[in-house]
Amino acid sequence: MAVSRAEIAVAAGARPRPGMWTAIARFARKKPLGAAGGVLMLVMLVTAIFAEVLQTHDPIATAAAATLAGPSADHWLGTDHLGRDIYSRIVHGARVSLVVGVASTLLGSVLGGIIGLLSGYVGGRTDMVTQRILDILQGLPLLVLALVMSAALGPAVHNVIIAISIPIIPRAARVIRSSVLSIREMQYVEAARSLGVRHLRIAFRHILPNTIGSFIVLCTAQLGSAILVEATLSYLGLGVPEPYPSWGRMLSVSAAEYAQKAPHLVLFPGIAISLAVFGSNLLGDALRDTLDPRLRGS
Amino acid sequence: MSRARFALLSITLLALGTALLAPSSSQSQTPQASQTPRSGGVLNMMLREDLSQGFSIHETSTISTVWPAMPCLSNLVLFDPLKKTESVDTIIGELAEKWSWQDNYRNLVFFLRRGVKWHDGQPFTSKDVKFTFDMLREAPDAPAKLRINPRKDWYANVEAIETPDTYTAVFRLKKPQPSLLLMLASGYTPVYAAHVPPADYRTHCVGTGPFKLKEWRKGEYVEFVKNPDYFVKGRPYLDGLKYFAILERGTRQAAIQAGKLDVSFPGETTKTAAEQLKKAVPQLVITPFSQNVTDNIIMNMKKPPFDNQKVRLAVSHAIDRRALIQAVHQGGAVVGAGLAPKPWGFWGLAEKDLVGLPGYGTKPADEKALARKLMAEAGFSREKPLKVEIVTRSIAIYVDMASFVINELKQVGIEATLKQIETAQWHAMATRGDYQIGANLTGVGPDDPDANYYENYGCGSPRNYSQYCSEEVMKMFDAQSQELDPKKRLALNAAIQKKLEADAARPILDWKLDYFTVWPHVKNLIPHQSIYNFGRMQEVWSDK
Repeated sequence: MAVSRAEIAVAAGARPRPGMWTAIARFARKKPLGAAGGVLMLVMLVTAIFAEVLQTHDPIATAAAATLAGPSADHWLGTDHLGRDIYSRIVHGARVSLVVGVASTLLGSVLGGIIGLLSGYVGGRTDMVTQRILDILQGLPLLVLALVMSAALGPAVHNVIIAISIPIIPRAARVIRSSVLSIREMQYVEAARSLGVRHLRIAFRHILPNTIGSFIVLCTAQLGSAILVEATLSYLGLGVPEPYPSWGRMLSVSAAEYAQKAPHLVLFPGIAISLAVFGSNLLGDALRDTLDPRLRGS
Repeated sequence: MSRARFALLSITLLALGTALLAPSSSQSQTPQASQTPRSGGVLNMMLREDLSQGFSIHETSTISTVWPAMPCLSNLVLFDPLKKTESVDTIIGELAEKWSWQDNYRNLVFFLRRGVKWHDGQPFTSKDVKFTFDMLREAPDAPAKLRINPRKDWYANVEAIETPDTYTAVFRLKKPQPSLLLMLASGYTPVYAAHVPPADYRTHCVGTGPFKLKEWRKGEYVEFVKNPDYFVKGRPYLDGLKYFAILERGTRQAAIQAGKLDVSFPGETTKTAAEQLKKAVPQLVITPFSQNVTDNIIMNMKKPPFDNQKVRLAVSHAIDRRALIQAVHQGGAVVGAGLAPKPWGFWGLAEKDLVGLPGYGTKPADEKALARKLMAEAGFSREKPLKVEIVTRSIAIYVDMASFVINELKQVGIEATLKQIETAQWHAMATRGDYQIGANLTGVGPDDPDANYYENYGCGSPRNYSQYCSEEVMKMFDAQSQELDPKKRLALNAAIQKKLEADAARPILDWKLDYFTVWPHVKNLIPHQSIYNFGRMQEVWSDK
């Protein structure tokens, strides 16, 4: 008869690992603000995935008869200066913000993680040179570096992702390197080394999985910044090009000019950006507190 | 009644009387002509972007350059800055004191001003005129060449430029062309100094104009100071001009609303923006005027799929002109074909002639059905849509129009993505034909058929971005150009405009209006019927 892992664990006297729902419920109880952030991010994710279902109008469809219309039964959040439905544009804008935010965060964090892993594991002169280069990159604020990259690459979704991911690289490299520095001194790593395991295998098989907690915290922390930078780049005309809806672009294209006559142009995209960044930051903070052993219980 | 009560009553009555007798804010803007111009002061103006070609008006096709470069330069002749309607009768002499048509519009003789000095102190002579126009028409023995020469075809009819003496220049034409004088009067036609390499105008400005360049800080501002040696005595009135580059449209509007800037940028104030400004600052003076600028679609006819006339016509049919005017311009534009319609222009087609043209019909659903039919004939369908990249300039007024067009095209099976191009690359890209389809704005110097046709539809013209070329139509251009009977010329031009739209050479979507805005202390800055011709500033004064 087959024996389950849980039964083995009970037989060994260990407490069974809680199920996913139990873990989530415990997280929500311990970190209600973090859970609220998680709910906001979940809403954003669902909105992004089901944008076509949730929209009430085609987000790029213009309506000459309904320009700058206020909120109504037909246009829940009103229309912009070209008569485009703001609610539908915000719904589709969630997709752009999430895709750009997640993709750039993952790209930057993975590349930075690999650099940090190798730099921390190899150490010596390689580590020193790598860290100085990262110092230079990190000396530039995220937004400034993203602006330069975006201006150089031109406005397009993939370029925006690249532009935002590059400033994330040094931050990710630093976080992962610091974890690697402590992990590489552990006995099981020494044991692996003495058994003749190759360095790359030690780095990627034995050290990397133990940095996953830091990696998750890093990703959630950077996600909010990435969403905000995307909105800023779009606001400055360097982000996702028209006519595809992006929250930052919605603020810039018409809002500044028509804000007095139609304040809803500024209000609703602004609320969407704020909620997304707020949710991401709340979740990130709570995950950091939960996953970082030094902060656990604080 | 006590003395105190009597005093209070007197003051109240006096205040009421003053309020009743005083003119309202709008009435207080008395006609400018009745006031005596005053010297002094500096005007703060705006730029919507930096000067992509510096002050080299001859190498550019945008108001972004013409507006801030005009005060430094002079033409042979110019449309009178004080008259809003431009015609041959409103042309005044600048570097030319007098001019004369001879040999039935075959020779145009200019008698030049004496004692005019370039800003670097060199004397102005007929040599400068010959230098400039030989360069522009790309004469075989021209002493200089421009990097790009967008209006080369304006001078295609000039056979030779002769300078019998230091102060006389003669334009000898291949065939009669009365319109040449109007083209020479445009802000696009300054005279360059023969002793200055043309490339220098991209960074400096040596002109004979009313203002001398003091400083151009790239991306920030352009500053001019009064030219004390200006050839018109007592002009300019102002001590200087300062143009600040503000790229963001809302910020520009806020700057003029707050009084940080005195004058709006020509062509940049929409109807809604003007309404908001007027509501916020009732004393602002807002003048609606024709820009002589069209929204239009350029399609590269040298490459598929727009080498197919059916696809081009489908694009033209797909775009609802009237909806575009409402949505993008909030009513601040008018429907028209190749030339500006009345009352803003002289040559445009009447509404009854327009409705029969592709895309001009009053039933947009029928027009779109026709577009879908044409697309099906060209081999495209809902299942197999045509996918294109639409290019436009990175300026809000372009992007708004392009966004509207993309939605219209989507409804007839054309899926378009938008690519924004910086001004510095835009004209070169369009001239090279490195694009499929573009949402474009085209401004015409003067309201004149020759200026528009030869520049924008002439075979081989650098500004003929669609690369449309029809021998038949070129003959029609020449026929109207030489026609001296106004009625016959008008009829010829009607036929040409219909032909151009039927060929979908460059579908015209609308003729834009501008709501030019100035603070009331800005006097004598009168918008013309073209944004390209009133930026000289020598008559402008400040009542501050």
